[in-house]
Amino acid sequence: MTNFLRKYRPFVSAGIEEAIVYRANFLLFALGNTLGAFVTYFLWKAVFQSSTNSSLSGFTFPEMVLYIFLSFFTGILTSSDGSSSVGDEVKDGSIAMRILKPISFTANYFYEEIGSKLIDVGVLAVPLFGGILIYQIVGTGTPVLNLGNLLLYFFSATVAYLINFYFNICFSFTAFFFRNLWGSNVLKNALVIFMSGSLVPLAFFPPVLQNVLKVLPFSSLLYTPVMLYLGKYSMQQTISVLLLQIFWLIFFIFLAKIIWHFAIKHLSIQGG
Amino acid sequence: MSMIEVSNLTKDFRKTIKSPGLVGAFKSLIKPKYETFEAVKNLSFEVPKGEILGFIGANGAGKSTTIKMLTGILTPTSGYCRINDKIPQEDRQNYVKDIGVVFGQRTQLWWDLPLRETYSVLKEIYNVPDKNFYKRMDFLNEVLDLNDFITSPVRTLSLGQRMRADIAASLLHNPKVLFLDEPTIGLDVSVKDKIRHAIEQINQEEQTTIILTTHDLGDIELLCNRVFMIDHGQEVFDGTIKQLKNRFGHIREIEFELVNAEDANRLNFSQFGSAIEYSQNEKNVRVKFDSSKVSVPDVIRLTLSQVDVQDISVKDADIEDIVRRIFRKEAAEHD
Repeated sequence: MTNFLRKYRPFVSAGIEEAIVYRANFLLFALGNTLGAFVTYFLWKAVFQSSTNSSLSGFTFPEMVLYIFLSFFTGILTSSDGSSSVGDEVKDGSIAMRILKPISFTANYFYEEIGSKLIDVGVLAVPLFGGILIYQIVGTGTPVLNLGNLLLYFFSATVAYLINFYFNICFSFTAFFFRNLWGSNVLKNALVIFMSGSLVPLAFFPPVLQNVLKVLPFSSLLYTPVMLYLGKYSMQQTISVLLLQIFWLIFFIFLAKIIWHFAIKHLSIQGG
Repeated sequence: MSMIEVSNLTKDFRKTIKSPGLVGAFKSLIKPKYETFEAVKNLSFEVPKGEILGFIGANGAGKSTTIKMLTGILTPTSGYCRINDKIPQEDRQNYVKDIGVVFGQRTQLWWDLPLRETYSVLKEIYNVPDKNFYKRMDFLNEVLDLNDFITSPVRTLSLGQRMRADIAASLLHNPKVLFLDEPTIGLDVSVKDKIRHAIEQINQEEQTTIILTTHDLGDIELLCNRVFMIDHGQEVFDGTIKQLKNRFGHIREIEFELVNAEDANRLNFSQFGSAIEYSQNEKNVRVKFDSSKVSVPDVIRLTLSQVDVQDISVKDADIEDIVRRIFRKEAAEHD
């Protein structure tokens, strides 16, 4: 185990250093995303103002505000860039250099991403989560801050990140067959945003669709941790959504292994 | 026992055939047509431990495809290679521990980090003990002169520096087999020299088996005990550089820059017969001949006696020339 850590630790620090090299890029990314969250906020504000009900599909306006910013924060926390970077590397052939190293391909990506994620979350977590907490404390009619829910949230968000990482790795291996991932990546992102509840809470969908989406892995990526934080689940529901998350994590870990086994035989390095 | 054993190695690629133009692009989008392209056909050879093998051929001959199969990046369509007693495709992580690879067109260095960081990452990846690592770095510093730029981020390095850094990176873990795919491409003479010297020294001190692909005859002549030439994915020659030259002639090329372009009409090399041929482009006259049959001084003397010359340059034949000649010879034998 210590040997294992020693082998992959440099990737974490290399990931951190690379993230720092491109810090301007990252700050612009964070700014753009924050703007997006505010656009969503004003949209929902208009929706609630024009409605005669004070609660829509079980959400009061303060809960909705929390949902918007929390799902935005969770989106950053659990985002995984594996599919676009593997796609790029397959396209330009630089993936060859990774395959030539005596290390696990997946672990290599994972530790590099952990490095840059530490920076991302470190920079964003304090202002953003601070803002969420302040809103909860001073805002009127907001859900009460609950330590148990907070812990559940962080556990569930960590699992969500791992699911997302392996999901993206599985997805990225299709680049070995298609040679270029850009198109399918755009489609995938649109579907994930819709089905994970990051655009609209799943509770707003028709019951039939809701039931389907809640079982699919996408709800585990974002909806589950956010709803846990908001305390929307009973004890029994909490246990079942967490078990579902763990099931999907194991599923994607194995799927990644199986796809890798076949994909590596299909790889053709382009150029050079 | 051989370090590298290649047996009936074959690689087919499936290519989409696209008819020209926009209509063609749509056609191939809806109903793609495929064509099988044999990049490597039935290659077999062995390389004993400690040998430097020059692997040559024209562009698109299948050199890089072969190297990619040997290093385990590509899976052969049929046949196999066994290197250091391992099949690269079967046990990738274990196999790559003992090899070093440099692709002239790519880099294994961390693009955004100072060069030194790449080496410390590699040290951990390959689990190189501290003592060996420092000894190795000292040696590589000495032969490849890395010290001037070891603290610079890799993206700021020049091509020559990057290539030296890449070669050092491939040698840190003291590999048993080293694959160099065009390590001197685009480099100036002094950097080429350093790199050749380093390769030679590594080979002598560590008995490293090396496969080298190149277009530079200089690399081959200085480094390789043996040359393996392929074309259209097939073996066309396997032997020493001396045998290659004996068999296919010492082709030389001399370029004369004339004072007056019209003088070229007065040139007459008929006394040398078919061993010589020449072409003219305004003031420049290129004369190609077999130096085992016609001597360089004779050609120069004859030319100078016939026309006024401003400048003369003598060139060795490059690999492409030899390959082209092999084919002409084979074609002639078939007729």
